[in-house]
Amino acid sequence: MKKKRIYGSDFVLVPICLVFLYPFFYMVTNTFKSMTEMSFNPTGFPSSLYLDNYAEILSNPQIYRAFLNTFIITVCSVLAIMIIGEMAAYPIVFFENKLNNAFMIYLMVGFLVPFQAILLSLFEVMQTLHLIDSIPGMILFYCNGSALTVFLAVGYMRTIPRELQESAIVDGCSIPMVFFKIIFPLMKPITSTSIIFNTMWIWNDFISPNIFLNTRSKGTIVLEIFRAKGQFSVDWPRFMTMSVVSILPVVIFYLFMQKHIIKGLTAGAVKG
Amino acid sequence: MRKRKLKKAMQYEIFLLPAFMAFTVFTIIPLIKTIAYSVTDFDGVTREYNFVGFRNYISVFQDEMMRHALFNTLFYTLCTMVLINLIAIPLAVLLDKQTRLKTVERAVFFFPSIVSALLLGYIWGYILSPMQTGALNSILANFGIGPIGWTSTEWGAKIAIILVAVWTSTGWHATVYLAYLQSIPGEYYEAAAIDGAGKWQQFKNITIPLLAPGLTVNTLLLLTNGLKVYDLPYALSNKGGPGYSNYTVTQMIIQRGLSEKQYGPSTALAAIFILLVTIIAGVQFMTMRKREVDIT
Repeated sequence: MKKKRIYGSDFVLVPICLVFLYPFFYMVTNTFKSMTEMSFNPTGFPSSLYLDNYAEILSNPQIYRAFLNTFIITVCSVLAIMIIGEMAAYPIVFFENKLNNAFMIYLMVGFLVPFQAILLSLFEVMQTLHLIDSIPGMILFYCNGSALTVFLAVGYMRTIPRELQESAIVDGCSIPMVFFKIIFPLMKPITSTSIIFNTMWIWNDFISPNIFLNTRSKGTIVLEIFRAKGQFSVDWPRFMTMSVVSILPVVIFYLFMQKHIIKGLTAGAVKG
Repeated sequence: MRKRKLKKAMQYEIFLLPAFMAFTVFTIIPLIKTIAYSVTDFDGVTREYNFVGFRNYISVFQDEMMRHALFNTLFYTLCTMVLINLIAIPLAVLLDKQTRLKTVERAVFFFPSIVSALLLGYIWGYILSPMQTGALNSILANFGIGPIGWTSTEWGAKIAIILVAVWTSTGWHATVYLAYLQSIPGEYYEAAAIDGAGKWQQFKNITIPLLAPGLTVNTLLLLTNGLKVYDLPYALSNKGGPGYSNYTVTQMIIQRGLSEKQYGPSTALAAIFILLVTIIAGVQFMTMRKREVDIT
């Protein structure tokens, strides 16, 4: 058992941490102030536990709707990306031929093209397919973000011994079954890395829902923040309250998954 | 025999199909259309359009707003890349040291990376508000310093955007460095210490060279993400303000293309943008490959 002591680096890091966290302190304390209180006391602690802001924000049914939409979009898209992405890695690794190499280059092209650059034509394509302003449309659109997942999966799959797959086929397992029964379960570490990457991206994405989802009832939570900024442009405490409520699920997720998130993200970055 | 071979191939290739379709529909087709539009006078409405050569490309450089947007994006990318790397390396070294509150400290620096950039931009917008009620101005008022218009000037906003971006992503990049630091065997430092190398020499001759792959990864991420930046400047500088002085390339493509229906110039800017990202990623990829060859 190590003795509990304070190290030299703590003296450097703790003050930096406090300064670093200040914006969040500012955001949370101001949710307990009325507009007038904030105008003469913007930086201090609130004088009393004023809860009207929360009452108002939480009584708006739209915010629950937005949470539900974001949840549905994120879960379905991430699931789809994982399945599509890891499936695509299978033939690339275990059945090397010219076609699959060409596909890797094809993916590389798509990976390099920033989606912002092709936005205009993408909008047209989505319009033709009637995918604008639709949650399933949004999910289909996100499937196209599977390139990174394919690359990570290919990298990881190469470390799986070939004999494993060959012996399973000799034992009478069909080619598709080998993937689902043997390969996919072995991919757990890289799967979790990809899940974290994709979840963070889709949950916080602003640009694509802002362009593709017009109806408010179909919007995501980031779009609600965007609307709140316009609506409460003078009422800062109310906007801060909206912000705190909107990041609460992410914070809870982070608190529980912190170790995995940091480990998973860096594992992906270090290998990739 | 051949039939069996074909059947086997089919069983594999079918796995590529979903990714191939998603990619073709949502990336490759729009990409081809974008490049095609960039050399025509298509306006998004009429069915007739003509080939106009590179006229749209020339117009990108004649359009002051577009030039501005290109400059802003490049400036942002360069500054964030340099500053974040410069701060993240020492931060990672500090976080790697024995500390009492290790987990908490690491979690704190990483935290801004999981919150939407749009929201962080807005919160900082309130802190840096030019009004007396802005957090920074009200602190300064205690010292008798009058309200300063932090984000109300072009360069004030530019610097604020870069500094806030440093605040949001340094923790993430430091975490990547931390992962590399932890893979350096402790014996290296012990051996160097026995040979009489000081702390600074150890840092310079062991830590920095072994962090090189981390630098490559971080730089690539910072460059490509920097060029794509949109949410943070948009939120922090009140939609690219003051005026259009802090527009980013992405914002410009959306404005000219989706709002103003100027398909030609907008897609030409997009094509230039794609070229830029491809060149940078290509150069990075080559140097990465070269280093791998050097090591093996």
